[in-house]
Amino acid sequence: MLNWFGKGGVIAPFLDGVVSGTALTLAASACAFVIGLALGVVLLLARMSPFGPLRALVVLWVSLIRGTPALIHMLIAYYMVPALLNISISPVTAGIAALACNTSAYIVEILRGSLGTISWGQRAAGYALGMRTAQVWRHVLLPQMIYRAIPPLTSEFTLLLKASSLMSIIAVPELATVARNATLQTDLPLQVFTITAAVYFLILFCISAVSRVCERRVSRMLPHGH
Amino acid sequence: MAIDFSIVREAVPVLLDGLRVTALVSAIGIPLGVVAGIVAAYAAQSRTFLKPVALAYVELVRNIPYLILVYLSFFGLPKLGIGASAMTVAIGCTVFYTGGYFSEILRAALRSVPRGQTQASLSLGMTFWQTQRHVIAPQLFGYVTPPTTSLVIMMFKDSAIFSVMSLPEMTYQSNLLTANTFAYVEVLGTTALIYWICSVLLASVGRRLETAIGRRARHV
Repeated sequence: MLNWFGKGGVIAPFLDGVVSGTALTLAASACAFVIGLALGVVLLLARMSPFGPLRALVVLWVSLIRGTPALIHMLIAYYMVPALLNISISPVTAGIAALACNTSAYIVEILRGSLGTISWGQRAAGYALGMRTAQVWRHVLLPQMIYRAIPPLTSEFTLLLKASSLMSIIAVPELATVARNATLQTDLPLQVFTITAAVYFLILFCISAVSRVCERRVSRMLPHGH
Repeated sequence: MAIDFSIVREAVPVLLDGLRVTALVSAIGIPLGVVAGIVAAYAAQSRTFLKPVALAYVELVRNIPYLILVYLSFFGLPKLGIGASAMTVAIGCTVFYTGGYFSEILRAALRSVPRGQTQASLSLGMTFWQTQRHVIAPQLFGYVTPPTTSLVIMMFKDSAIFSVMSLPEMTYQSNLLTANTFAYVEVLGTTALIYWICSVLLASVGRRLETAIGRRARHV
């Protein structure tokens, strides 16, 4: 068994790298998710606005993002956007930006779905109580909407975390990059990638378990018929 | 900065060559994956040793990034003596991943058909497979079609990942072009546009299928 990990502990540096790689994977995913969620809310408000061209723009954004590979988003964020704007950005920034844009397109659809489950009467009631549109959104619609969206949002987070491995394409030193580099140094691809897969599995399995608990809670708290 | 359309004109044929490989992998891998998914879904329903195997399979697919699966298959498996060409690994990974997700879709659809229907069919003397064929399956299409369309688009897009093993699909061709010309805006923009057009077409096929199924269901 020890021999399987290579003689003389050649895999030891990789095991150290796993910790920092995993930390970066988690941090970048969390960052991208928070930004993506904020962007998703803004996009939702634009999607619901009475101004047609704004709505069309959101529809186009969602279609473009959902219709192109996440890998291409990475390349666009790291190579194409800096070339267009004549700026230079770090791989981590580009990676997080790409993931945030990617997830925002899925989040806006999730939020739209959960908004659809809130009856129109609530909005009418808000207005009848003298609330302004912003207040209705802030106090009536958004809190309920986010709450109902928690289960699909957690599953979107697992997809985002899986997609974060694509940051290795632009050399962000997260878990997949650490693994790829270790295989080049140690020539133990089977061991290294099995361990990497196990680490991802463990993290994602835990998140999925939490998500299932959330789902049960949320469905218990909702009024019957929803 | 100005966009150089002569580069776009040169890039398009190369990218379309790559698209042929992308399409080939998807066209072989996704249908086989659907078959694998059907097997896994029925195995997960069974009360044999196959049930935990099928459930473990689905969990593996759900919880391991596609990129890591590709790395493990392409770089790791040869160490066990199971080396294969990039094309074979690409198709294999597509089948493996599609199968896991499709089995989830199918299980959700199977759960949405009331149990009483199976019991009624069995009590009418139909066998298990007759019940599945004549009673359950016709009802599944409506449930299965929308998420399957998303799955097909997802697997088609994710084939971009196969560029890491130098499979000459569209993203790989795009990487070669940008490495030679440094025309990131033109090449990446064109690549993204081609992916987008294909996804939109696939989505519209899915919608047509949905309405066709909906129409047939009303007639029955």
